[in-house]
Amino acid sequence: MRLIKLIHKWASVFVGIQLLLWLVSGFYFNIMDHDKVRGNQYRAQIKPAPVLYSNINNTSYIDPKTILAEFEKSQSLKIVLVLDKPYYLLTHQAGLYRHFYNKQTLVNVYSGEEVIIDKKVASNIANQSYNGPGTIQSVTLKKPPIEDIPKEKNPVWQINFKDDVNTSVYINASSGQLIKHSDDDKRFADFFFMLHFMDYASEGSFNNWQIILFSIITLWLVLSGFIWTVELGFKGHYKFSLSMIKNEKQSVSEQPLSHGIKK
Amino acid sequence: MTLLKTSRKLHKWLMLFLGVQFVIWSVTGAYMVIFDIDYIHGDSLVTQHQTPIDVNKINISLTDIIKKYPDAQNINLAVLIDSPVYRFKIAQKNVMLNASSGEVLSPINEVMAVKLAKHYYSADDDISEIELLTNNPPFELSKRHLPAYRVNFEAFGSPSLYINAHSGKVVTKRHEFWRLFDWMFRFHIADYQDGEPDNLLLFWLSIVSLFAVITGLVLTYYRVFKNKRKRANATY
Repeated sequence: MRLIKLIHKWASVFVGIQLLLWLVSGFYFNIMDHDKVRGNQYRAQIKPAPVLYSNINNTSYIDPKTILAEFEKSQSLKIVLVLDKPYYLLTHQAGLYRHFYNKQTLVNVYSGEEVIIDKKVASNIANQSYNGPGTIQSVTLKKPPIEDIPKEKNPVWQINFKDDVNTSVYINASSGQLIKHSDDDKRFADFFFMLHFMDYASEGSFNNWQIILFSIITLWLVLSGFIWTVELGFKGHYKFSLSMIKNEKQSVSEQPLSHGIKK
Repeated sequence: MTLLKTSRKLHKWLMLFLGVQFVIWSVTGAYMVIFDIDYIHGDSLVTQHQTPIDVNKINISLTDIIKKYPDAQNINLAVLIDSPVYRFKIAQKNVMLNASSGEVLSPINEVMAVKLAKHYYSADDDISEIELLTNNPPFELSKRHLPAYRVNFEAFGSPSLYINAHSGKVVTKRHEFWRLFDWMFRFHIADYQDGEPDNLLLFWLSIVSLFAVITGLVLTYYRVFKNKRKRANATY
């Protein structure tokens, strides 16, 4: 039992503060407003317009086959809408998920020319997705890692709006597709996620070495505490009666851990 | 009573009731952080083939598609194993057709589903079971992916690939480690109903646990830091 108590003591020194942070952040996740923390307070809920025949009916578009032959080899060609106009989106290299690295080119369906999403286009796309009271404050091209969206592996345009929650809109710089909105409510929740996941390096992950180490030590702390509690139970230290106080006094003098704490 | 005595008493009694919850939290938490989330998500179960579209195989133009299917939406041209295919949507229905022959491929049959599953699956294991799911999807498959084939492989962790019957794409994948992760998460957030962390049980557990941990920290402070100068007296 002495070993169990030793483990419990020193494990608590090591992980005690983090354990408190886990509980506080966990409690926050329990009580937080689950809609607010999505960061979509000023996101316009426009359904993506269907890509229809009529969009490209009256002007002669260049056939996908011609486009595919002219550009770098692609594994898919998709008709997408950017600011309500159709474009071909060529994917040369596809990531398993959208936020993984994807090598893409946006092509004008009528001229067959590559389209670069510049500052102005990015601002317009952001404005289209925004229904808040603010105006655009800054537009910056960013390369990953990006603090607000740590999982994103593609270059993005960050469009910051001046409003009460400091909305930021993220647009994929090669495809022109909206990635997400972020704002102060989301960042506040992200702070608690950072604490809970011990993601102090902002990797957007809970598989970092520090949390693995702490979780293992916490296991030792909890299991030693559990054994200790069971032992206390067997020794009769949990009794509901007036004699409890008496027992408590007794146990203080019995247990070795009481050394050096008597006043 | 002194702060130390009160803390010891509270810690002892609170942990009598919370002990099991702390074991659940630490065991499930450790599981979730130790196993790499990309592994849990089965990313290593599938191969991301980067097969380019062979332009010479395309015989059907976009105009042909639009003439035949004037209501086609979200048209795209991609590769199915090694043939170019058009995929699009008509009135909420997904259609796939061969861009060389124009043959409609959707919905795919079981033979094709097996062929696709083997193509995308990253290892070389045998298929143990295949089933077409049209309604009542299992917990691990979203309803929007129906109809889909579930292809189970005979391998460690019982992996399954779910292949959409219209698009022929792998819509999701699962193995026991992910299924276990889902359970671990539910226990971690003390949710035995809908999988959201906003339940009352967790609310009260967290509040009482806060007291239990704070009193524990008080004990640690007295035992370890305040006693430093009295170390000579202490047995450990």
